Amino acid sequence: MKYVPLVWAAVMRKPARAVLTLLSVMLAFTLFGLTIGMNATFTELQAQARADRIFSGSRFGGPLPIAMERQIESIPGVALVASSNNLFGYIINPKNRVFIQMNDEKVPKVNPEWPITPAEWQAVRDNRRGVLVSKAQAERWHRKVGDTFSVIAPVQKKLDGTTTWTFQVAAITPDISYMTQGYMFGNYDYMDKGRLLADQGKTGMFRVKLNDPSRTAEIAEQIDNKFANSSTPLQSITEKAAFDVNNTGMDIAAVDREVALAGMFMVLFLTANGIAQAVRERLAEFATLKTIGFSDRGVVGLVFAEAAVPCLLGAALGVGLAALLSAVIPRFLPPGTGIPVPTMNVTVFLWAAICALFVAFASSALPALRLRRMDIATALSGR
Amino acid sequence: MLRQIFVVSALNFKSLKSRFWQSMVIVVGLAATIGVMLSMLSVSAGMHDAYQRAGDPNRAIVVSKGADQEAQSAIARSQAPVIADAPGIARGGDGKPLADRGIQVGVPVLRKDGSKGFTTMRGLSGNVLGVRPELHVVQGRMFQPGKRELMVGVGAQALFQHMQVGDKVILPDGQWPIVGIFASGNLMEGQLIGDTETLAAALHKTAYNTVLVRLSSPDALDRFKKALTTNPALSVTVERHSEWYKRVGDQNTFGLALLGYVVGAVMAIGALFGCLNTMYSAVTNRGREIATLRALGYGAFPVAVSVVLEAMLLSVAGALIGAGIAWALNDGKQNVFGNSVFYLSVSPAQIKLGLIWALMVALLGGLFPAIRAARRPVVEALRAT
Repeated sequence: MKYVPLVWAAVMRKPARAVLTLLSVMLAFTLFGLTIGMNATFTELQAQARADRIFSGSRFGGPLPIAMERQIESIPGVALVASSNNLFGYIINPKNRVFIQMNDEKVPKVNPEWPITPAEWQAVRDNRRGVLVSKAQAERWHRKVGDTFSVIAPVQKKLDGTTTWTFQVAAITPDISYMTQGYMFGNYDYMDKGRLLADQGKTGMFRVKLNDPSRTAEIAEQIDNKFANSSTPLQSITEKAAFDVNNTGMDIAAVDREVALAGMFMVLFLTANGIAQAVRERLAEFATLKTIGFSDRGVVGLVFAEAAVPCLLGAALGVGLAALLSAVIPRFLPPGTGIPVPTMNVTVFLWAAICALFVAFASSALPALRLRRMDIATALSGR
Repeated sequence: MLRQIFVVSALNFKSLKSRFWQSMVIVVGLAATIGVMLSMLSVSAGMHDAYQRAGDPNRAIVVSKGADQEAQSAIARSQAPVIADAPGIARGGDGKPLADRGIQVGVPVLRKDGSKGFTTMRGLSGNVLGVRPELHVVQGRMFQPGKRELMVGVGAQALFQHMQVGDKVILPDGQWPIVGIFASGNLMEGQLIGDTETLAAALHKTAYNTVLVRLSSPDALDRFKKALTTNPALSVTVERHSEWYKRVGDQNTFGLALLGYVVGAVMAIGALFGCLNTMYSAVTNRGREIATLRALGYGAFPVAVSVVLEAMLLSVAGALIGAGIAWALNDGKQNVFGNSVFYLSVSPAQIKLGLIWALMVALLGGLFPAIRAARRPVVEALRAT
């Protein structure tokens, strides 16, 4: 601890340089935090995905007969099938696009982990126009419990030929992390009985829960095969696969790592230069330290500490800034962009610290070597 | 004045060698910034290109009123002949209007990396090559109307499994053989095509999604549009095909492009602090040299300009290296993102953008050190050790 003032004096010898270096390091770590934080979001999503669930949707688009629910349930290994049908529309202005996920009464059993109480689910059954609005959506539309609102759905005509659907907020419920824009859950039966006769009895997709999570992929294939020759073939995907970011066809996690690495490379160059310069300028000072009895290791430690201060401080500030940005940015994104938000968990901070220490180590290695080898007499004479 | 700037700058550049590693901080900073930004933008730009080239100012697309995506649009069968009879449509060699009644659906595909995805399958009708002259067969043959057969674009063939001539695609009414591969130089290369009526029957589609017509001339759009939108029997929106795809392309690449710019901006600010750092050190270390020049009669302005010029030279060098790396790694590489297949693109326009960013960083990063260098009293600088 007694060397702290010494290290601090060395770092602050040229305050402007120290501050600029710190800011540079901080920004590189902001980027690091955002990209690696994004990967943390992807990993968490994967971890949350349940191994015993399958999404079955229409293979070639279009609505699916609700009767298929029973047929899927008859496949051995399937425990339960629920269905959801999204009502797409807008609120007042076509720019305010929304969708309400209309769930049947079995959805709570297939997705028991959603933060919705049985009483809240029941409220949507009792009040057919009722919707469960997540906190994010409630904030977005300034809704309170009991408010009624209309959604205009040009693609979903009602029995009377109009397209204005009214809803009432039954409860405001906690958000679900992977639904980044929040959600609104409604009553499927309200929508189905309310629409044109030709559209009734159909749904958007099935949520399949299995008894045995080890057979998920196999059963997904069985479901698809069962309906392959029907008029509405299915395309089933396991929840694990559906929540995999590589689903887009690009290895986004690798891109994130590369971006973070590029930032680290930039910082490594910068701090290595700064330290090399500082040591060059203060050779005599280090020679003095050695003369008064500092060991080689002690001097090298001082140099490393001098490099580590801006790296660690910059990493902490940078990741902190990234955390702040991830909390603030979603408020400014237009709804429905679906851009995931970085998660700042312990892993991100840990990796940032490791990278910061590595940069400090790598950038002080050469100058430290130089100090070990220097000839004290020459250095003191200032030649 | 110019001569002074030239002399001072020349002196600066000559001494760059002794400040090599320090100067490299700027070069590496900008190389990393511009390299990363252009690599990220190569995705959104390549995708946007593919959309842009799918449109054609000589074509007009007809969708149901208010639809802003093909999938949302439905044109009743009875309306298609009315649309094809409208004025302003070019005619093929057989005297028939060049109007394509199209359907489109998503079809599941297995990507080469093993992941599952979707691509678009289109039904095309009538004089397919008359409406879409950019389309040409590169292998096998064209699909025939009335037959259950498909063609695959070169992009889909390259990036998806089981997409060779002779392979089968499973549709609701059985397996459809792939009879040919086509190229079109745009988004369609990642898609499958077949005959509209046959596909519609297999997929139980009762309406068309769109009608795409070839205009008799680019200015025929107004006439065509007027005829359709004033017809009370129709409820449609007409848009020039190029504008349609520009808008859809903008919508679908906005998020990706934004991400590229945000990352680029964060790195650029980081590089800016690095640049400031280097240039401040440079003018401090060369305090006596600069003061000597001033004592010899060189003005403050040429000294300041020379500092900014040095920052610019280093930044542009870095940006060019970064752009070169981004270009070598990405440009022209075939890529799939979501259901779009396209080529990554690092175009001259983007490289220019990268250079502009670099110059802005250099300007800001050189300016303050330049002012300091110019303002420092000569006597004080000469005395300093």
